[in-house]
Parts: sequence; C-alpha cells; structure tokens
Amino acid sequence: MVRWLFTVYGSATISTANSSGDFTLTIPDAYGGPYNYIRIPKGFKAKIWAKRLSGTANFRLIVRFIPDVVNAPSTTVDVDSEYLASPGTLELEKRRPIVIVAKTGNEAIKFSYDNTGTGTIAFAADIELTDEEE
Amino acid sequence: MSIVDKFGLVNENNYIVLFFPATRSALVFRVVSRVNKGFEVFDYGPLPITTNMTLSLYDGGTVAPPANGVLPARSYTTSDITFPAISGTPLSNVRDTTDMWYLAEEDSDRLFHVKMYIYPPVIRAEVRIPTGVSQAKFQKERVTLGIDTVMGFSRGMLEFVRLPGIRYGFRFGNDTNLNLYTFVRFVFSEYIVEVPKEPTLIYDLLAKRAPSYWLTMPVTYLDPAIQDAFRRVYGLSEPYWGFRLYGTAAGDKDKAIKEYQEVLKMLRS
Repeated sequence: MVRWLFTVYGSATISTANSSGDFTLTIPDAYGGPYNYIRIPKGFKAKIWAKRLSGTANFRLIVRFIPDVVNAPSTTVDVDSEYLASPGTLELEKRRPIVIVAKTGNEAIKFSYDNTGTGTIAFAADIELTDEEE
Repeated sequence: MSIVDKFGLVNENNYIVLFFPATRSALVFRVVSRVNKGFEVFDYGPLPITTNMTLSLYDGGTVAPPANGVLPARSYTTSDITFPAISGTPLSNVRDTTDMWYLAEEDSDRLFHVKMYIYPPVIRAEVRIPTGVSQAKFQKERVTLGIDTVMGFSRGMLEFVRLPGIRYGFRFGNDTNLNLYTFVRFVFSEYIVEVPKEPTLIYDLLAKRAPSYWLTMPVTYLDPAIQDAFRRVYGLSEPYWGFRLYGTAAGDKDKAIKEYQEVLKMLRS
C-alpha cells in the first residue's frame, strides 16, 4: 500500500475587498511550481487531513474538486470550505479527512479563496495520496 | 527463530528460494553469512536522474529534467537507469562505478538482497532483467507492460535479488502533475551463500515442507543474457535452468530428487 503525506502551501495578497481567486501552490517535495492544482493518480485517493489558515478577516478557503483536469479544467465542484472570521489563525485537523477518489486519473484538487477582505492570506494543507482499498 | 530479520532480510543459516516464472525453476541457496549485518540501511539520495537526460511524457513528447534528481511531471525514464557509485566516497571502488550493485561472474558465492524504497512512494518503478528487457507480461506474454503503460509496475518499492553476471535496469515514472524531488533508500544484505547439496532438502524447500524465504524473481522471459550468466556463474544449461518445481503427488518426489541430483552435478560449487 502506498501512502504519501505532504504539505501544500499557498498565499496571496488581496488588495481589493471581496476578491476571489485560486491559490498557487508550493510543495516542498516538488521542484519549481507554483502549481495550480494537484492531479491524483488513477486509483488513488487524496485525503486532506489538516488545514491551517492565517491572515486577514473574512478569509474563506474553498477546496475544489476538478473532475477532469485534462478536458475541462475550469469545471469544479466545491467539496469543503473553511472561514476565518477575524484576523489571526485557524487550525483544523480532521479525524475524518476529506476524501477525493481518482477514477480516471484526470481528477485534481485545487484551493481557492472567496469573498475575502484585503491583506495577506495564507493556508497550508496536509494531503495524503494513497492507493489503500478502504 | 524467524527466517527473516526486522528488515525482511534472511537470517544466517536459513534458505532463500529464487523462483523464476520463465523456467518454472528455482535457485536455492543457504545464507551462510551476512556481510553487512548491522548496517543494512543505505540512504542513497536522489534517483540518478540528470538534466542531460531525455525523458518521455505520458501525454506525448519528451522533457529534460529541470534539476538533477527531479522526475518531471507526467514523465517516465525511457532508458534504463542503474545506480552509480556515489563519487567521492569509498563506493568508488566498486567493481563497476556505473552500477554499484553489479556482481561479477566470479562473485558466485554472493547475492545482494535489496529492498529499494523510493520517495515519494507514488513514483512508478520497474526492474528489467537484463537491462532493457521488460519482464512485465500479460496473457501468455502476448502483452508487454511497464511503467509507460497502464500496469506492470509497482509504486514506491522494489524488492529484488541481484545475481552475479547479470545487468539489471530500472525505470521510473511520475503520473502526477508535480516535478518530484526523489529519494532512494536501500535496505539490503550482502549474503555469502552456498547451494545445498541434498536433493531431498531441495525438494522439501520447493514443496514448502521446509521453511525458506521465497522470492519470485521478475523474470517471465529467460533472455539469452540470463542464460549466459547461469551457464558461466552456476554451470547450468538447457534443460535445467535451476530446480524445477514438482508437486506432492505420489511419485513426484522421486522424480524430483532424481532430477535434482542431475542439476547438482551440473552446478559449480
């Protein structure tokens, strides 16, 4: 069974209130980047175990599932969101992770912000890619 | 006492059976000694991928690695890789500095039992014996597979026994969209081995009536290079490329023992 646990990080400086957009991701295990999404190998699951948010008030982090990043990369499904109501940090650790399954190998996940106040926002997430059966 | 230690390596005075699907035969060894007991773990470092290589892309085309040790997104190694001795270390005194695991024909009393752990473990991995010859087959060898297709590879780990006189090659693939920094840890043992001389014992080992560590080698096609090595290193030849498996029905044991006596006569001690 394969299990790869890694951290992704993204940050943005928001100059216009109520902005929305996608984070570009930096990943310590990956050269270069930044990356716009993480594609999941066929048969694998992506499990998002933990998220850490920091920055300005009214920061909403959205986890978006891309069912077919090859043929329809702009089609997404929101699968999770977290909200930082006031300036500071928010740490969320899941006993049950968010799970995304890759059935074709074209599936991907990305991280977005929505309706966010001005200032610098950042997040980190701990993601596991695994081919376990359960 | 267990046959293997905490690493899954065979303890001294136990048997290791290397089964070859291509010949339905096995080589049987007793592990007389382990040279590197106590230092089985070798953190090799990044995969020997260099920026001057040309890798293939799963989506078509080619790519050059952006940095040494980086397996680019959606790419795989087209040609086989070997693990060179790390320069500037005592390993530069190995027999072949381009392939630190190579055992020469005269090293017939040695085996390297290697467990190669690849990080990140999502990386596809394939061993080819000999170099350049795919051993991942399907449906009576009608289909050849490997890291560049839909199956015929493992991820994150390969286990193999390095036999003298045979070149092994490795291929790796990355079907994520990330340019992955890579890392390899070898957990290995250098065994000093001998072939047991008693045909009854060999039968019992192959019939699984006596305990052994059984490893099915990824050899579904007996390439002439393997045949040549078996001839030169062990003295084997057609039709006996090892000890053939027999069942446990009445008469099987007698047939097996008679045949194993012939094979033992061929084997170089």
